[in-house]
Amino acid sequence: MLGSAIHRRLTSLGFTNVVGRTRAELDLACEPSVRKFFDAERPRYVILAAGKVGGLHASSAAPVDFMTENLRITTNVLTAARLCGSVRKLLFLASSAVYPVDAPQPIPESALLTGPPAPGNEWYAIPKIVGMKMCQAYRLELGMDAIVAAPNNLYGPRDPFPSESSHVIPALIRRFHNAKVTGAGEVAVWGSGYQLREFTHADDAAEAVVLLMDRYSGDEHVNVGSGREVTVRELAEMVREVVGYEGRIVWDTNRPDGVMRRLVDSSKMRAMGWEPKVELRDGLVKLYRGYLRGRVTNFKA
Amino acid sequence: MGTVTAADPHFLADKDAKVFVAGHRGLVGSAILRRLLALGFTSVVVRTHSELDLTRQADVEAFFAAERPCYVVLAAAKVGGIHANSTFPADFIAANLQIQTNVVDAALRCGSVRKLLFLGSSCIYPKFAPQPITEGALLTGPLEPTNEWYAIAKIAGIKMCQACRIQHGLDAVSAMPTNLYGPHDNFHPENSHVLPALIRRFHEAKACNAPEVVVWGSGSPLREFLHVDDLADATIFLMDQYSGLEHVNVGSGSEVTIKELAELVKEVVGFQGKLVWDSTKPDGTPRKLMDSSKIHEMGWKPKVDLKEGLVETYKWYVDKVVSDKK
Repeated sequence: MLGSAIHRRLTSLGFTNVVGRTRAELDLACEPSVRKFFDAERPRYVILAAGKVGGLHASSAAPVDFMTENLRITTNVLTAARLCGSVRKLLFLASSAVYPVDAPQPIPESALLTGPPAPGNEWYAIPKIVGMKMCQAYRLELGMDAIVAAPNNLYGPRDPFPSESSHVIPALIRRFHNAKVTGAGEVAVWGSGYQLREFTHADDAAEAVVLLMDRYSGDEHVNVGSGREVTVRELAEMVREVVGYEGRIVWDTNRPDGVMRRLVDSSKMRAMGWEPKVELRDGLVKLYRGYLRGRVTNFKA
Repeated sequence: MGTVTAADPHFLADKDAKVFVAGHRGLVGSAILRRLLALGFTSVVVRTHSELDLTRQADVEAFFAAERPCYVVLAAAKVGGIHANSTFPADFIAANLQIQTNVVDAALRCGSVRKLLFLGSSCIYPKFAPQPITEGALLTGPLEPTNEWYAIAKIAGIKMCQACRIQHGLDAVSAMPTNLYGPHDNFHPENSHVLPALIRRFHEAKACNAPEVVVWGSGSPLREFLHVDDLADATIFLMDQYSGLEHVNVGSGSEVTIKELAELVKEVVGFQGKLVWDSTKPDGTPRKLMDSSKIHEMGWKPKVDLKEGLVETYKWYVDKVVSDKK
């Protein structure tokens, strides 16, 4: 999702030589393949947005798969980038998942490693932290201009999650749409709905990535968050309206809420002149339209 | 795949089963290998770095497919002191991650591994962890900057083992030793830790009749040391008895000041000159002690007394220095 948003942005900015590979074309977890690719292509810039994603539920169910694949992707790409000799700058996409559960809100960059990541999510978060440290290590030892962006709760087209394990926005869209189509009287949503969440559109994050590639060469990672918080209730209500579902929303308060607030402090990013542009409602409208048009792949209706 | 059943024998009752010791040439691996052989294990498999480069995924997979070990002790790592870690952080973090990921993943996939033990280090804990440091301190605070690269790789290793247990039921455990010493340690003047550094310096001062040895700091910081043979013993104990998700601290529980240590080393080496403290130079961390009550309560205790351990280590060092000169 983010990778494709970055690709779109680069293309629209006039970059003429953007190289990407699908998973089938290049398995980033396979070290010799990655070495061969880098030696052949010799890129000047690298944006590492690849990884196994899926949310808390998915990573708790397959911890080894998450850890092994994500650790390998990061190690392989960084090593190959170093060895091929052509890479001038590399950006690694981390995630707000690296921060401790009880981090002060809004979460500053300095909260990293002041506490453990959320239980169940460590299989995703630890490889991200490792990637962040690897970038610092590569800068320190080799002078590689390796930087890190840490977006919070991305949403947007091509969020590739089927059924249960998806992130909350695609999950809500799918469920409200199904309820509308089947004429269901109500949709049940887990939790109290009073948790506050910040959602960041992939296009805004892509814009931040490009800005960082252009201007930032710091050792510390940079938070990328829209700064716009909503309660899950507000979100659900917005999705309901956008989808046009007329039934009831029922809150299953026996289910856990997760953390009550998850907002990153993006003042560092904003100080560089970045401003998120996508309004949540507009983002949801576009996402739903895409879903209906079937443009959003991997959505199972 | 690798799930322990009630019918599976315990490690110590399974001495004909194939055991792969990764890193058998290092301080820890060599002690574990010695102990296994002394205990009568008949099928211990080892590979030098040139025979099997553990950073190469395909080679590690081929090795596991061919050898199909029942047990794996992962003591292989790229190690070094503060200086090496700070100068080559990228090498340290990348190599250690590759070694760990390759070995644990290959062990998981080959289907023959009944149990795996991963060795870490006390540096995984936060710099300002409350002392004594319990297992629960993991990830509760920032790491010591001078070895955070090595530490984060080791933390990933602990998590890999947990992930294997959770997802596939592989009996993977992690042991975190305190400061180790003993034969086959690194006595290099720039890379070694405080204990081998003191041995070397007192030895060299004795050899050239120097009037004094100057040690940096006040001598008051407290440190815990464990003889590597005790660690080897603990490793085998855990292989035999422990199948928990949480990592296990392995320490002696007894502390000495750097001053007490230096005086002991001086005595063991037999240096007759003066021991002088340069208190204008900084002390390291004031205290570093692991809480090893978990393993002590399981019934394991260290046996090697510090002085006795130093005598034995010094003897090994002298033999090595002499033979290196030949």
